Amino acid sequence: MMAAMRRGWLIGLMLLLVAPGAAPALADHGVGTLDTVGSDTMAGLMLRWGERLGREHPGLRVQLQASGSASAPPALTAGTTLVGPMSRPMTEAERAAFVARYGYPPRDIVVARDALVVVAHRHNPLSALSRAELDAIFSESRRCGAPRGIRRWQALALARPSGRIALHGRNAVSGTHGLFRREALCGGSFRPEVNEHPGSAAVVAAVADDPRALGYAGLNHLTPGVKALALRDAEGRLRRPEPAAVRRGAYPLARDLHLYVNRPPDGDLPAAERAFLSLVLSAEGQAIVEELGFVSLPAEALAAQRRRLGLPSAGD
Amino acid sequence: MRDAAPDMPLRRRLRQGRDRLATALITAGGIGVIAAVMAIGVFLAVEVLPLFWGGGPGGPEVDLETLWLPQSYPGLEAPAHRWQPTLPDSDPGPRFGMAPLAWGTLEAAAWSLLIAVPLALGAAAHSALFMSRRLRTRLKPTLELMEALPGVVIGFVAGLVLAPWLERQLALAATLVLLLPPGLLLAGGLRGALPGGLRRRLPLGWAALWLLPWVGLVAVLAAWLAPSLEAAWFGGDLRGWIETTLGLDYAGRNAVIVGMAMGFAVMPSIYALAEDALSGVPASLAEGAQALGATRWQTLWRVVLPAASPGVLSAVMIGAGRAVGETMIVLMASGNTALMTANPLDGLRSLAASIAIELPEAAPGGLHYRLLLLAALLLFVFTFLVNTLAEVVRSRLRRRYRRLGGAP
Repeated sequence: MMAAMRRGWLIGLMLLLVAPGAAPALADHGVGTLDTVGSDTMAGLMLRWGERLGREHPGLRVQLQASGSASAPPALTAGTTLVGPMSRPMTEAERAAFVARYGYPPRDIVVARDALVVVAHRHNPLSALSRAELDAIFSESRRCGAPRGIRRWQALALARPSGRIALHGRNAVSGTHGLFRREALCGGSFRPEVNEHPGSAAVVAAVADDPRALGYAGLNHLTPGVKALALRDAEGRLRRPEPAAVRRGAYPLARDLHLYVNRPPDGDLPAAERAFLSLVLSAEGQAIVEELGFVSLPAEALAAQRRRLGLPSAGD
Repeated sequence: MRDAAPDMPLRRRLRQGRDRLATALITAGGIGVIAAVMAIGVFLAVEVLPLFWGGGPGGPEVDLETLWLPQSYPGLEAPAHRWQPTLPDSDPGPRFGMAPLAWGTLEAAAWSLLIAVPLALGAAAHSALFMSRRLRTRLKPTLELMEALPGVVIGFVAGLVLAPWLERQLALAATLVLLLPPGLLLAGGLRGALPGGLRRRLPLGWAALWLLPWVGLVAVLAAWLAPSLEAAWFGGDLRGWIETTLGLDYAGRNAVIVGMAMGFAVMPSIYALAEDALSGVPASLAEGAQALGATRWQTLWRVVLPAASPGVLSAVMIGAGRAVGETMIVLMASGNTALMTANPLDGLRSLAASIAIELPEAAPGGLHYRLLLLAALLLFVFTFLVNTLAEVVRSRLRRRYRRLGGAP
């Protein structure tokens, strides 16, 4: 639950990563501060990338205001930041506001992938659910085609556990809630019985305490107390939430993590932004992604994005 | 003295000036506070009015009926109350039924009062009338410490420790609730049956300590009995029995958990105010009653309690006001499920918790934002009324004491 409250603590909190000293690599461009505003899901990532950047280029620091993905587009449009981390793509309205101000769209860089997992108690015999079953359990609209709702464990043809399925999820204003609603509930609406927790860690903790519970949470919040369920697709194949499957796009409940960058189509990036993106799209940056429990991008996607940004290829 | 005499007028004038300045500052502070409270109310009202004034963001989408009565939504079999404000506009459209939130708020407050009031009033009556002074001077700071515990800590413990424990040990908890009252009554009776010498060493003022080991004993007894009782009466699974035989849903974070946590939070303030009211009853009244042959119970029940009743009532009302406005405890202990059910074992979602969760993400000026401010206005009006009423009642009590010739 403490991690759950992180969002609140981080609002308005500036994470200052100060690295005093000379800046040999960026000497000709001067020492810089990189201001970023956006997603709290990505706060840990931005922090670690910033730390690494500060070590490579002493004097360069990354300043992060992690108050939610929704705060990134206004800050980019207002020009207070050039880099906005978002755990969802920009909406049409957000993009239009940016274009109206600058005349060109913001550059969308995918920097990592994240997945949602359906979790059960570690002793629960259930190992996989189809999308229709998932929808019948969590929603009251059943848009994915289940004939009737599933409220009890008996309906899943399991000997154990019995009784009502206790449901746990994120609160309605979180991106996790929205993604699960769109992808797993086919855009329908949740049952009102789904417990709404302020963070993914709280969801996992609640499920780990109750053998009759199911929940959904971010992949990076898995603990030994719960097990992640596989999803059964229309042909009956199991889709496990493993990094390789998430990277390939085979696991359905996945999302890209974005950095939106304000960069004119013909202009070049300032040195600080350039160094940051170069790190993020390097093997080193992607190792940090893995360390934090997210899923790194395949090498060819990295190379393609580096080319598009005009960054030297990773070997240099 | 004589030397200082010529200075006196100047000094006095200085002192008067200081007094006037202090009075002015205090008055300004008081007026400032009142103005701030009024400004909050006015701000909320101004932000909320466009909802119902036509042409505002509410427009045709919400009115009193859609807010407070069951609505039929696509995909649902029967009309229902739904608070799902973040569903996208196009499909299936946000749902703004506020009744479950108001219901959850009142349900949480009712359960916390149900748990806190008997305990707090019992403790207040005992410590005001019977407890030894030494024990009382220890008890009061302890309870004040309880009041100083932040709500977020209480909510954290309730949601992450108490709720899972209760879910696993439901039978034990139920046995404990059943055994504690008769067990403690029995213990009280046993004290009366003690031989004279022992009894003198355990005067009434210290009787609370006599009960403590008995609480432990009852707990051990409950732990020993619970599994066999559960096996004999409920087939070894009380939770399953509640769900199948009683047909009640059991949620781990439910109204009773919230009531216990919030009861813990409001108990100290109810205790403090009620204790003040009870110990403020002029001693002459109680002494007179006992001199006329009334027992301690009769004195308490027929004389002291009625005399202090306005103060006790206002203590309960202050507790109710706090329970309704409390945010973090409900947010962390309830599961935030916007349900409209009388089942105390199901979850709930309160107005205050909804504001805390959703307001940071609601677009300012939008419909969702204004509805959350409407929720804030409701809470504001409710706590304002309850607190004002409690204050009015308390000032009546003070007048009554003065008439009875006791301390103010």
